[in-house]
Amino acid sequence: MSAHVDTFSYDDAIVRKFLWATFIWGLVGFLVGLLIALQLANPAFNLGLEWFSFGRLRPLHTNAVIFAFAGNAIFTGIYYSSQRLLKTRMFSDALSNFHFWGWQAIIVAAALTLPFGFTQAKEYAELEWPIDIAIAVVWVAFAVNFFGTLARRRERHIYVALWFYIASIVTVAILHIFNNLSLPVAPLKSYSIYAGVQDAFMQWWYGHNAVAFFLTTPFLGLMYYFMPKAADKPVFSYKLSILHFWTLVFLYIWAGPHHLHYTALPDWASTLGMLFSVMLWMPSWGGMVNGLLTLRGAWNKVAEDPILKFMVVAVTAYGMSTFEGPMLSVKTVSSLAHYTDWIIAHVHTGALGWNGFLTFGMIYWLAPRLFQAPLHSKKLAEMHFWIATFGILLYVAAIYSAGITQGLMWRAFDETGRLAYPDFVETVMKLMPMYWVRVAGGTLYITGMLIFGYNILMTWRARPATYEVPVISAPPLAPAHPEPAAPAGEGLWARFTAARFHRRWEGLPLTFTVLTALAVIVASLAEIIPTFLIKENVPTIASVKPYTPLELAGRDLYIREGCFNCHSQMVRPLRHETERWGEYSKPGESVYDHPFLWGSRRIGPDLAREGGKYPDLWHVRHFQDPRSVTQNSIMPTYTHLGRRTIDFAGIQGRVDAMAMLGVPYGDAVTRAPELAREQAQQIAAGIAAAGGPADLADKEVTALIAYLQRLGKDIRSAPATASAPAPAPGGAP
Amino acid sequence: MKLVDVMSAAGLSGYAIVAMVLFMAAFLMIVIRTFAPGSRPQHSAAAQLPFSDDASGPAPRARE
Ligand code: HEC
Repeated sequence: MSAHVDTFSYDDAIVRKFLWATFIWGLVGFLVGLLIALQLANPAFNLGLEWFSFGRLRPLHTNAVIFAFAGNAIFTGIYYSSQRLLKTRMFSDALSNFHFWGWQAIIVAAALTLPFGFTQAKEYAELEWPIDIAIAVVWVAFAVNFFGTLARRRERHIYVALWFYIASIVTVAILHIFNNLSLPVAPLKSYSIYAGVQDAFMQWWYGHNAVAFFLTTPFLGLMYYFMPKAADKPVFSYKLSILHFWTLVFLYIWAGPHHLHYTALPDWASTLGMLFSVMLWMPSWGGMVNGLLTLRGAWNKVAEDPILKFMVVAVTAYGMSTFEGPMLSVKTVSSLAHYTDWIIAHVHTGALGWNGFLTFGMIYWLAPRLFQAPLHSKKLAEMHFWIATFGILLYVAAIYSAGITQGLMWRAFDETGRLAYPDFVETVMKLMPMYWVRVAGGTLYITGMLIFGYNILMTWRARPATYEVPVISAPPLAPAHPEPAAPAGEGLWARFTAARFHRRWEGLPLTFTVLTALAVIVASLAEIIPTFLIKENVPTIASVKPYTPLELAGRDLYIREGCFNCHSQMVRPLRHETERWGEYSKPGESVYDHPFLWGSRRIGPDLAREGGKYPDLWHVRHFQDPRSVTQNSIMPTYTHLGRRTIDFAGIQGRVDAMAMLGVPYGDAVTRAPELAREQAQQIAAGIAAAGGPADLADKEVTALIAYLQRLGKDIRSAPATASAPAPAPGGAP
Repeated sequence: MKLVDVMSAAGLSGYAIVAMVLFMAAFLMIVIRTFAPGSRPQHSAAAQLPFSDDASGPAPRARE
């Protein structure tokens, strides 16, 4: 044994930076959220500006809240707690700063590209390829810094919060890289290498697990550190927290019975998948109970302490939204909730309640310690708590009822067996009062955020002239890990239970990390491979052909404008859906769709069967002014589509990229711009002949109309024997 | 012959099931190990780790 003791200090400057970034980006993200909420309540808030319209701004809102607000909050907590739990300074100050500035640069890049229509069209993975590469680089720097810190630790045991961090860092890297594989066609444009069903599987494998490993596990790590700190009591049950961790790592990815249903798995395996999914309730509620019981005997403190109040609501919201998640994956519930505001309510319980409130609680606890001054006002913190809580309640109550209302209206039939609300806009109008309540709820939440910012700012202003940097001393770790011999002469069982294998893993971060990564990768592969590479899972349909060059250009405009944020292209095999839209969608229909555009929310009607439903001129007028065609529509106006010209020269590159991805383009590979011009002239002539504007042959609106008129056409031209008889053209009422 | 053909011929879905069962088994082992009698002292020591750093100390008192 050496008596040597190291002295060192913690890097809190980096924690302060992340703290400010959390506040600033949080405010931006929430304000954009409020703006798009207003746009849904009244389309005039789109201001007629293309880069200000709902389709462009909705991804900005989600990305800002997830990656900028929650992301910076996670880093704040990780940088503070890891140094202290490991009794060492971060591995490299340079890497810490690179991580900080790199991450902020990525956020700025997102804010500068998304409003201008540069998007990959995959939810929460919208950022284009150069930014994706930057994200990977910054993430790797963070990982090196974090694991370097682990390697230099002066504490043998790795506390459970750190396990959650490790799992998050490793898994997010895997998810990000695989979902974003794409073929660049321009500096800010790329096509997903996956198509149709496969792209959808990849995307929702990512979506499903990103919620787990970006918005759940890192925050659980924060909960397991900051809640005991704030309550001044150790976590209620450490065993439960270990269980909590392993359940998430082992079960979460398997719990996709809705994914497994489509594969060739036998019934009992599918049942096992469902069992996993039900088992996920265990860790969620176990985690919630564990958090709440940490406050045992301290409830009187909760009454006085706004920090604990925020944490109690956060943990409760965690329990509620993770209970709801598996419930939503049950087929019958999903059939009602999917495409409606129910999902929006669900994610806001999680984001506003769990992520938001845990962040506020954590920062109120951190601010006095980081700024070395008392919190400016406890009263204001209390006020923040009550205003924000009321804001969440308003938001969630309004949007749950909006979701259920619209879901029920879509599926309602009248006595004669016809759709009770055949007119889609009717089901939208019904939501308006609830949308205004949401605006009120969001405004309250943001008011709370401003109070919070003021409070933190005033705390910061009371800081000392120079921060005191305490010098810490701790002995270095002894190099070897003493391993007591198994008790001799006892049975196998005794040796197994006495084995130190688990403690040993904890003592060996590398092994631990590798095992976690392995758990995630194996489960992911098992989920993805079947639908991915096994042919029979996606039967091809002979009549489905690639888009013409002009239609492809139109499709790219559809992506640029973010139409998929309001319109789905996926008719489900449910009676009320086929009545309303027409023949249900087949996997084989989207084999050339790089990326897939099924959408996830129907703020407007499904467009999978839009082709041929209206004349071209209808669309021209509709884009010019939706409300002149459909009274009370909340669709933004798209006048710029009638002004801006099609980039014919750029079409060849796009067709070539598609051909490279395996789309059989035939002779279009050599003469795409020509073909596009021909088709555009034809469409424009038709529009002019019908009495519309005469100058549309080179305008973007023509390409977009070409695309819309193609949707659902291929399946209609299929020979009648190939599938069920096609419904009457026009499908919808 | 494309990758797709190779993969479909390989009959991989069986492995997915094997993996799933192995995961379940590994998970159960951890559960048993965690809740086995005799692990309490080390766990309660671990639970104290957030408090072993005295440097953060109590926060400066808030004004009312
Ligand atoms: C804010 C959400 C929103 C956005 C963004 C949006 N739409 Fe719409 N869209 C609607 C709503 C609501 C309706 C139904 C009322 C109407 O007909 O205007 C609609 C209707 C339509 C229709 C008529 C569908 C039918 O069968 O009656 C088409 C076509 C359409 N939108 C295309 C687009 C395209 C293309 C874009 C992108 C350039 C787009 N929409 C962007 C909300 C939106």
